Amino acid sequence: MMSDSDDDFVVAGSGDEDARATDAGARTRSAKPKEQGRQKERWEDIQRSWEVTEDPHGSIAGTVADRIEAEKRKRLLRDTTPLQRGIIRHLILVIDCSSAMLEKDLRPSRYLLTIRYSCIFVTEFFEQNPISQLAIIGMRDGLAESISPMSGNPAQHITALQALKTREPDGNPSLQNALDMARATLFHAPSHGTREALIIYGALLSADPGDIHSTIRGLVTDSIRCSVVGLAARIAICTELVSRTNAVTGASSDSPTLYGVAMNDVHYKDLFMAHTTPPVLHAKEKNDAPSLLMMGFPSRILEDAPSKCACHGNESRSGYLCSRCSSKVCTLPAQCPACDLQLIQSTHLARSYHHLFPLRNYVEVSWRDARAKESLQCFACLDDFPEVPSEEELQQREKEDKERREKEREERDQARKEGRRWEPKGRGWRGGGKGASESWRYRCTTCGEHFCVDCDVFAHEVVHNCAGCLCSPPLQQQANGEVNGTANGHV
Amino acid sequence: MLELKRSLDAKGHCLLEMPTGTGKTIALLSLITSYVLSKPHNPVKLLYCTRTVHEMEKTLAELKLLHTYQTTHLGDRAKILAVGLSSRKNLCVNPRVLAAENRDSVDASCRRLTASWVRAAAAANPNVPTCEFFEEYEKAGSSAVLPPGVYTLQDLRVYGKEKGWCPYFLARHMVQFANVVVYSYQYLLDPKVAGIISKEMQRESVVVFDEAHNIDNVCIEALSVSVRRQTLEGARRNLNKMRQEIEKFKATDAGRLRAEYNRLVEGLAQRGNLSISDTWLSNPALPDDILKEAVPGNIRRAEHFLHVLRRLVQYLEGRLETDNVEKEGPVAFVSSLNTYAGIDQKTLKFCYDRLHSLMLTLEITDTDEFLHVQTICDFATLVGTYTRGFSIIIEPFDERMPHIPDPVLQLSCHDASLAIKPVFDRFQSVVITSGTLSPIDLYPRLLNFHPVVSRSFKMSLTRDCICPMVLTRGSDQLPVSTKFDMRSDLGVVRNYGRLLVEMASIVPDGIVCFFVSYSYMDGIVNSWNDNGILKEIMQHKLVFIETQDVVETTLALDNYRKACDCGRGAIFFSVARGKVAEGIDFDRHYGRLVIMFGVPFQYTLSKILLARLEYLRDTFQIKEGDFLTFDALRQAAQCVGRVIRSKADYGMMIFADKRYSRHDKRSKLPGWILSHLRDAHLNLSTDMALHIAREFLRKMAQPYDKAGSSSSKTLLSQEDVEKMSDANLNEMLY
Repeated sequence: MMSDSDDDFVVAGSGDEDARATDAGARTRSAKPKEQGRQKERWEDIQRSWEVTEDPHGSIAGTVADRIEAEKRKRLLRDTTPLQRGIIRHLILVIDCSSAMLEKDLRPSRYLLTIRYSCIFVTEFFEQNPISQLAIIGMRDGLAESISPMSGNPAQHITALQALKTREPDGNPSLQNALDMARATLFHAPSHGTREALIIYGALLSADPGDIHSTIRGLVTDSIRCSVVGLAARIAICTELVSRTNAVTGASSDSPTLYGVAMNDVHYKDLFMAHTTPPVLHAKEKNDAPSLLMMGFPSRILEDAPSKCACHGNESRSGYLCSRCSSKVCTLPAQCPACDLQLIQSTHLARSYHHLFPLRNYVEVSWRDARAKESLQCFACLDDFPEVPSEEELQQREKEDKERREKEREERDQARKEGRRWEPKGRGWRGGGKGASESWRYRCTTCGEHFCVDCDVFAHEVVHNCAGCLCSPPLQQQANGEVNGTANGHV
Repeated sequence: MLELKRSLDAKGHCLLEMPTGTGKTIALLSLITSYVLSKPHNPVKLLYCTRTVHEMEKTLAELKLLHTYQTTHLGDRAKILAVGLSSRKNLCVNPRVLAAENRDSVDASCRRLTASWVRAAAAANPNVPTCEFFEEYEKAGSSAVLPPGVYTLQDLRVYGKEKGWCPYFLARHMVQFANVVVYSYQYLLDPKVAGIISKEMQRESVVVFDEAHNIDNVCIEALSVSVRRQTLEGARRNLNKMRQEIEKFKATDAGRLRAEYNRLVEGLAQRGNLSISDTWLSNPALPDDILKEAVPGNIRRAEHFLHVLRRLVQYLEGRLETDNVEKEGPVAFVSSLNTYAGIDQKTLKFCYDRLHSLMLTLEITDTDEFLHVQTICDFATLVGTYTRGFSIIIEPFDERMPHIPDPVLQLSCHDASLAIKPVFDRFQSVVITSGTLSPIDLYPRLLNFHPVVSRSFKMSLTRDCICPMVLTRGSDQLPVSTKFDMRSDLGVVRNYGRLLVEMASIVPDGIVCFFVSYSYMDGIVNSWNDNGILKEIMQHKLVFIETQDVVETTLALDNYRKACDCGRGAIFFSVARGKVAEGIDFDRHYGRLVIMFGVPFQYTLSKILLARLEYLRDTFQIKEGDFLTFDALRQAAQCVGRVIRSKADYGMMIFADKRYSRHDKRSKLPGWILSHLRDAHLNLSTDMALHIAREFLRKMAQPYDKAGSSSSKTLLSQEDVEKMSDANLNEMLY
């Protein structure tokens, strides 16, 4: 998959990098064709180019590849302890529609970008949590307005969000009004699901009609968890809101999953999308007695003559019949409009499962481990790994890095003595990007196979299973089963 | 700490600049108490001087924590006695006395209940009211001692109530035995008070002046007196009253006056045998300068003394009648006084002691009513005692309001070293510390001492949590400044306004603005109001303004805090050198940004300042410009230092004046600000500052590792400390 970039690194070491680097870059791109006519060079993809530093041989190719990999892996490196999570979620998305959203520090504007990301969020949210419910509230001109009511239908939310584009943001937001509305909306949410509010906050103030602290107290008693994604800076009231409504979970408001402030658009998206993962349930919140939930698993029917569905009144030939009252609904998951039974497909449940039994993170492999394992290609895609350098060369690099560090420390001490600021210049051999492996290999801790970064991402993001573990002999498979999870009955 | 130890070992003085919120207090306390513990054969006493009662309480609370730690780890050996000492107002537990509204009247009503003659009368006649707490305390006598421990003012009050002992006198008694005493500057610096309280402190004491950046001003104020017309009128009334008293005594109890006369002939020196509750006045001049002689004959008799005072008041009244500003030295003043009123220098010198003795004889307890005549005597004694370092300035009206006659005669001290000299001489180590002592070499010159160590420390931070900027140009690229010729320029006013509007729209929660003076603030806020700028600001944040009225300001501050708490956001307009700049913290969300509009120079046309500058130039060879800049910059640093009180906090500081970019100004800022001031942030215009602010706020909102990563570790575990070799140790200190 990405073996080109791997070659590239070896070349960088040999000192003849420029021509080959762009060449390799072009080839890498060709793996993922773009819609535009001209293909982008790889270096064009790098944003914030001033952070790119040179390695000891003056090449930037290493850094560029490094950063790409680090970015790819960044989302993967999350906590993989299996925890009980609330996979039936009731989430209120509160969007700031105040005049502060007109700012253009995020392109094209905070407002438009938020709408775009919200659409992606809605899709992703229902992808990850098919049996959850979502509502959208906007804060405009001191009022809270319902943009889209509580429902489990992504299409409806996205339509409502798109319609929002035509209205200009205006006035000051009122956090209190929005929270009150969220509270009212979540009033009927059943106790087996979570109650959450995610607030996208661009403004730096909240013009409230009353005492917001009493509203926060109300949220705490209703056990509604609030999290905030700020677009400009941390605000004291939001910090308080987040820390008080999440006090039960013991999480600090410093945690970026609860109150994050976006540095740039990429970071904004990361923060936003992090909320698609279901929240961890804590012992204090859990009901002591496991409650049972009635669900119907209707099968699809295809009728000869079109008939109206009970949910929208549209005529169609296909649909699902409620397993209790046999009324027809057109899409799943849904709540039966006649008997209120939760109707879902078994695949929906299965899709939520990986949250409960996440696949463990792959770990980085050092050059020496790579030599010991003698892995030449990725276990999954059979793409070639870069060659392992000789022992002498490794030692040489280590020496260079060490010298470099010492020199840096000297410089720093000098600067401190003179009261100057000091910032690191340049970089050492690989290992600068957080999470990127020096040998371009990633190892599954269960089966011990080596994978390339793309297969790593694929396994964790899409299939949620490890290819190595699935092909290995039954003993190992069993071990993996414990991690990756085939157990059920936890819903 | 290393430096502190060094100076303790050398038994010398030291000057330490440490940024606020870095645990300065606890570091000092723990080192000194441990130092004391390590040398049990040589008991060293710690005198910790703070500026306000609030700081005193904070210090004691920290000491308490430290003490619990030390006793749990070291056992009983570490037991110490620490007390806080404050005025009667803060310590009294008698409800009748506490009903009085201000400090002086609390003192007076206490005396009314505890003076020796009142108690003598009470012994004869049980209907005379006395203070039951003091009686109890007296009864307990020498057995009235505090068990070892740390006592805050609150603890003292509770303990006093429990035992029925007067906490104030108990504390004053215990001060002699305590290992640590926490009290305010005045108890050491103001000779009036120091004579009573700090007389018995042994030489082996370590004196710490915390937040001491204004110590020279405190010293000067301790020795300065100003006399207004009201003072003179009051003094006249007092004198009349005293005359009546004397007449009364003459008729009823002539023997008492006789006894006093005899005592005066013998000399005044035997004040030691007065009882503790009677010592309430002490000579305003420094102990070394008081002559141990008998009082001159012409004021020995009470009537004669009153005549002398009357003549003095009359003379002063005559001087106040003047139409133009006059300035003269004490010598000239005394000689003219001698010519016109026939009072010589020696008589003047004894005024204060004589008054004290007279008031005791007359059994006057309403001391608060006699403040005016005390002021006059105070003045007389100072004038009589000192010939250098003082000047007398008579101003017929306030410079700023020339049409309202408000004559004032000021005896102003120019030499800060006078008041602090006895402290340096008496105690083995004096530690002067604050967040802003830069440039650190000026303090020893001002206070005329030789520190063993003077160091400026920087913060070791886990992240760059302060962001100082120097803004020199407005959004239209024209320079901004509060220089006299530029400050009323509309363009500058508008640029300042735009800066504030823009900042208000991107900074969350609280913003604090400091202006150079009240009049400038009034002017600029007015014109912002006319331009509609104020309205624009109000869209983003609510605006609160400091006024000269304390109650109003307190109210404004309360509401400012409320507005920050509930997320509305607020701006506080304040004045450098005002109360807010000195004592109020704007930490956390109460101050994310502080803007210093202009350089807060002192009012350079003030006669007192001019006189002081002249004196400094002649005596200490400090150039006027240097001193003014130093003073302005320490004020500015003090103002901006309000925003950050701990490492976890973050804040921005904008110095909005083109003059800050000049090296002579900038280099006088404290090191911990300078080390964060990048070269790129030295010459900014409004839009650049906005950009930087945005980035900074975003960066600060990101989660961070509280203990710090390996390269910038700030929280060291025990292993880390053990691992540190000497070389590394040095690195950490820098």
